[in-house]
Amino acid sequence: MPDNLNKRRHEAVRLRLDGHTVAETSQRTGLSAPTVSAAWKAFREGGWESVDVRQRGRRTGQTPRLGEAEQRVLRQCLADWPPSPQPGWSSRELVERLAVATGQKVSTRAIEHWLAAQGLKPAPVRLEGLERKRSAAGRWYRQQVLPVLEQIKQANGTHWQGGVRVAPQAHDDAPCRYQLYLHGKRGALLTRCFTEPPNAGYYLTLFERLATAGPVALVFHGAFFRASSEVQAWLSEHPHFHLLSVPADAL
Amino acid sequence: MTSLTHLQRLEAESIQIMREVVAETENPVMLYSVGKDSAVMLHLARKAFAPSPPPFPLLHVDTRWKFRAMYEFRDQMAKDVGMDLLVHINPEGIEKDINPFTHGSAIHTDVMKTEGLKQALDKYGFDAAFGGARRDEEKSRAKERVFSFRSAQHRWDPKNQRPELWKLYNTRKHKGESIRVFPLSNWTELDIWQYIYLQSIPIVPLYYAAERPVVERDGALIMVDDERMPLEPGEVPMMRKVRFRTLGCYPLTGAIESEADTLPAIIQEMLLTKTSERQGRVIDHDSAASMEKKKQEGYF
Repeated sequence: MPDNLNKRRHEAVRLRLDGHTVAETSQRTGLSAPTVSAAWKAFREGGWESVDVRQRGRRTGQTPRLGEAEQRVLRQCLADWPPSPQPGWSSRELVERLAVATGQKVSTRAIEHWLAAQGLKPAPVRLEGLERKRSAAGRWYRQQVLPVLEQIKQANGTHWQGGVRVAPQAHDDAPCRYQLYLHGKRGALLTRCFTEPPNAGYYLTLFERLATAGPVALVFHGAFFRASSEVQAWLSEHPHFHLLSVPADAL
Repeated sequence: MTSLTHLQRLEAESIQIMREVVAETENPVMLYSVGKDSAVMLHLARKAFAPSPPPFPLLHVDTRWKFRAMYEFRDQMAKDVGMDLLVHINPEGIEKDINPFTHGSAIHTDVMKTEGLKQALDKYGFDAAFGGARRDEEKSRAKERVFSFRSAQHRWDPKNQRPELWKLYNTRKHKGESIRVFPLSNWTELDIWQYIYLQSIPIVPLYYAAERPVVERDGALIMVDDERMPLEPGEVPMMRKVRFRTLGCYPLTGAIESEADTLPAIIQEMLLTKTSERQGRVIDHDSAASMEKKKQEGYF
């Protein structure tokens, strides 16, 4: 809590002690009337020591952490496809799996914090920002992405963004260095990890899982699919699956 | 009295070496491998003989496996500087389709580079060849003299080298002998980058970090530069932000992950690095004392 606020609260109490009204005190300190009243009430109940605003929330470093056993279960989960037909693990599905495996119930938020701590929570890319750019990336977005997204919208299809990357905090002895990630409509993260760079078989499994929901547009970053004959052959057999590879250095 | 900076001293030394070679030899040539050292060497040669173009041609011993960006850059540079560019490819290598994948890096280097260089030197009768090797690159290069003499068979004898006290160079040679001259011997990789930055010397864009398609081979990141690069079954190259500290044949040159996409960023990276640039060259790890062995056989 900023010291400045506490100083103003003390000043408000002094003004009230001098006989100023709440409105006058509020005007002179710049605090709202309810804050002036709250400071005055705190002083009357607990003296000057109570006027300061207390630290809110949990203190840094006191967050309950997932135990080693739970983390192991999560890592094992991420190294395989989820049992549901989803194209990757969501935090909700990880919670359910953890509850089954260890009997421990944790929140989805705890899982998301754990993913962030492991460097496995990439932020969704804001492609819309490219629309007005006069660069090659901007042209790619306007000429290739926008028409496909419009087409998918009209066909009631789904639109995903995703990519593959080396996990930023991965070290040499980390079991899973490579991460496949997807962001859905509201930025929800679905992910899976690999010990080696994912091969065409893994990508095709991902595409198959995505394609079950009808027409799909997938804007993907981090793989050079042009060099993979397997992926190219699959794409030619699935015209309703639109794979849009993000050009190099566009993001 | 003005004092020179360390780069000005290195520049003066290199220019003196180049002028000495032109004065003392009959048919010199500058080996041009299109890398950053060649770019600096070419820049120094132009300075040494300005306003005329340097009085010797450029020779590129081509292996057919350089990066595409290097070929584009080479042709553009030759056009810009107005020097003759001789390109030599070992015809035996073309005939037998020698390549790093089916024949391995050792045979590829021996046939396409070592033999190719010897053929080109014999073909044009060059008696001195400038090269951009530096002492800090590799230990066998560290002990080689600035003027390195080669027998009529282009062999190097590391135990029979001439002293170069007080930077006095003995250029006398027996019939059939030739000299490999290294004007950048005393430069370091950092000096090269600082000089490139200060003099605005154009270099191949592969030295700057950018997203490029790469695959992992024995811990090295190998760029997929064209369709000739054979992929493992089902392999999909990843796009990673990489740059090259050294450039050779593309299947034999490893990239490094880097964010350095400007010269100041590269210099900053150089200040913190603790490894030699040649750690990315697969050919240097072929066998123990690999570079020295290759040099004795005629490799640059």
